[in-house]
Amino acid sequence: MKTVRILLLGLLTLTLLATPAVAPVPAFERAGDRKILVFAGRQEVPTIDPSVKYDWSIRMMQQALYDALVKYVGNPPEIVPWLAERWEVSPDAKTWTFHLVKNARFHSGDPVTAEAVRWSFARTLKLNQGPAWTLSDFLKEDGIKVLNDQTIQFTLTQPYAPFLSWVPWWYVMNPKQVMANEQAGDLGQKWLTDNAAGSGPFKIKRWQQGVLYEIEAVDGYWKGWPSKDHVGGVILKLVRESAAQRAALLRGEADIVEGLSADDYDQVAKTPGIVVPNFPGMTTFGLKMNTQKAPTNDANLRKAVAHAFDYDSLIKIYNGNAILQTSPFPNATRGHVAVPGFPRQDLAKAKEFLAKSAYPNGGIELEYVYVQGLEEERKMGLVLIDNLGKLNLKVKMVPLTWPNMVARGAKVESSPDLMAVFTTPLSTDPDAVAYQYHRNSYGKYYASSFYQNADVWGLIERARTLAKWEDRAPLYADIQKRIAADAPELFGMLANRRWGMRDHVKGFVFSPVRFTGEVDVYPLTIVAK
Amino acid sequence: MLFGLLCLTFAISHVMPGDPARLAAGPDANESMVETLRARYGLDRPLGVQFVRYLGGVVTGDLGQSLRSRNAVLDDLVRYFPNTFELVTLALLLAVVVGVPLGMLSAVYQNTWIDHVTRVVSVSGVALPAFWLGLMLQLLVGLYLGWLPLGGRLGLTATPPAPITHLLFVDALLRGEWRTFADAVAHAVLPVVTLCFPALASIMRVNRAEMLETLRQDYIVTARAQGFSGFRVVTRYALRNAMIPTFTMIGLRYGWMLGGTVLIETVFDWPGIGLYAVNAAVSSDFQPIMGVTLVIGLNFMLANLLVDLAYGWLDPRIRRASVA
Repeated sequence: MKTVRILLLGLLTLTLLATPAVAPVPAFERAGDRKILVFAGRQEVPTIDPSVKYDWSIRMMQQALYDALVKYVGNPPEIVPWLAERWEVSPDAKTWTFHLVKNARFHSGDPVTAEAVRWSFARTLKLNQGPAWTLSDFLKEDGIKVLNDQTIQFTLTQPYAPFLSWVPWWYVMNPKQVMANEQAGDLGQKWLTDNAAGSGPFKIKRWQQGVLYEIEAVDGYWKGWPSKDHVGGVILKLVRESAAQRAALLRGEADIVEGLSADDYDQVAKTPGIVVPNFPGMTTFGLKMNTQKAPTNDANLRKAVAHAFDYDSLIKIYNGNAILQTSPFPNATRGHVAVPGFPRQDLAKAKEFLAKSAYPNGGIELEYVYVQGLEEERKMGLVLIDNLGKLNLKVKMVPLTWPNMVARGAKVESSPDLMAVFTTPLSTDPDAVAYQYHRNSYGKYYASSFYQNADVWGLIERARTLAKWEDRAPLYADIQKRIAADAPELFGMLANRRWGMRDHVKGFVFSPVRFTGEVDVYPLTIVAK
Repeated sequence: MLFGLLCLTFAISHVMPGDPARLAAGPDANESMVETLRARYGLDRPLGVQFVRYLGGVVTGDLGQSLRSRNAVLDDLVRYFPNTFELVTLALLLAVVVGVPLGMLSAVYQNTWIDHVTRVVSVSGVALPAFWLGLMLQLLVGLYLGWLPLGGRLGLTATPPAPITHLLFVDALLRGEWRTFADAVAHAVLPVVTLCFPALASIMRVNRAEMLETLRQDYIVTARAQGFSGFRVVTRYALRNAMIPTFTMIGLRYGWMLGGTVLIETVFDWPGIGLYAVNAAVSSDFQPIMGVTLVIGLNFMLANLLVDLAYGWLDPRIRRASVA
């Protein structure tokens, strides 16, 4: 027995000795005299090639490493000059001419010229990936002309007023650097996966795929820095578990975290030294209803569902950090109007619509498809069960993985009765949202209602070709009202964008046009106490 | 067997719903963009052609390209597999080093407090979900006590040693980077302990049960009657015979742990093959899924081969029978 006790004691001592004590790290990292901001994010950056892919984490890095002709800044988002110091548009919105600044330099030291801009646009069009879809219907390679070293002209195949609203996402690459690293005619795709050839405020320092991505500030960035206390670099560290992100923020291992649950944000906001910026975003949440397949092809049934739903529960699910939609367009979209009589819970009205439908007594089951593991969407399903029960409508909750959901929503025959969808428009131009309801968007996850209304489609097609905003605005007001009247979806809410941030991080500029989680790191500063 | 595994994985990954080209092209991509990707990755070819091309690639060491990461799958596996291999090997070693003696002690001191404590540990190990245990350890040891890092393989400012074997511990030692080694050890403690716990519990239970059975055998009674010390009887005669089923359990556990580290890797941000596979699965990115399955299958077979060889080492009767 004594031997056993000695053995156990020895084992315990060994375990304690083998456990090295690690002191908590300071609030931010330092590399020499540089202050390095640590961003704990959940999503990888599989590639940073500006012509190939974008999502919030990819674009956060692209925005730091590259510049575009213009940039979205602020709330409401404004398009401000960047590589282009000014631009002109022809009266028919077909010819766009940009004049470049003279002092812009790539990280390699090469000047940013009109030829580099032409090459970058042509590369994206040729690869036909990433942001190509935003302009490929209107812009062909031969429509891009270099007028001189500092002037470039885009002649579109047809008038397209929203052209400028997409340009901020077309980053400019250094053709010399990219082509020097081309492999087997890939236009540098392999190399640009984890290398950059930009002129942005940051350059790559370390790129450890699946672990962390470190960028460092470019000394003497051609555009200058908004503050002398600007961050010396940024580490985007992958922390995939929400609880671990929260712990990293509390312990000071991360300066900014994204993607916490509503409860976690509320909790960390109460912690001294942590702030939680909280802004209404542009991401809409709605339940898309299949308008071409029974039973939801019945407009009165859709309206009954829309009026039976308890919208306030959406706000409660986000602990009050959301606002209800007042139109099919998000509030930050240009030309947004609050549609009169936009559906709110009204059981009497819901019963009226149901009585007019082909299912006056209910007695049918509706399939609600949502993303497996997304707690908020599951809760919304439970609210739906409760609300529609009052109309004698049953709801079958079907959790699916994202690929399966996308596959279901791609075809009329398989698209479910109700599908929970978050959608973030890529630009503030109303065309970015309106076109989601056009027949050309069928097959995409946000078009799973397979909305059909030839009049609305006609208005959408016409509105995008008009050059003057005064002519476009009334059309978009009409489009919003008509879509709302057809009730192709249960228009839900816009959840606020939130981040957990140490309070020594200053200079945060919110812009709703950026993706959920995405932060423009250029204006950030660290002010040590 | 490997061919069967390849056929099965190919078939399963290709009947999964979801269009990998559409998912890789992005949510806003139009049909022409999806078609471009489909053609580029050969997804527009008939399934039979795709399978033959895949088999041809496997033979020449080309496991295809990931639609998600746009990298060669082999490159990705070289990046991620060593991390999982180190995690699983360390966890299993710890489980064996602690589990076998505890199982033995539990049997020798059956129905004493030692037995009760080890049984509580073993039941907890089987019952507690690994991710919960990981989160609790992270919160307690990492956040509140501040003794160990919360996750990752190295500190934020540490640079991994230049790869020789791609195994971080081994490379740090070979390069003489002791600080990096110590940093890596500190980062490994919590994930290793978390992953080790269920394996330790299973090994302990099996070892205890076998030891109890063995200790009742006539030859053990004879050995005791001949005056051998209790320690010698237990370690030399009883333990050796009880180890055969325990080794079987270790072999099975190794395979299971290789394929089941994803939750631990998620909680502790361990850049391993489990996370890589799950990310691929949710994107319908089937080339990496097949690559991971192949690697895990190979390792599982190798582990079981080693276990079979260990039988012969443990039991001379098996060795002689196989020689005969």
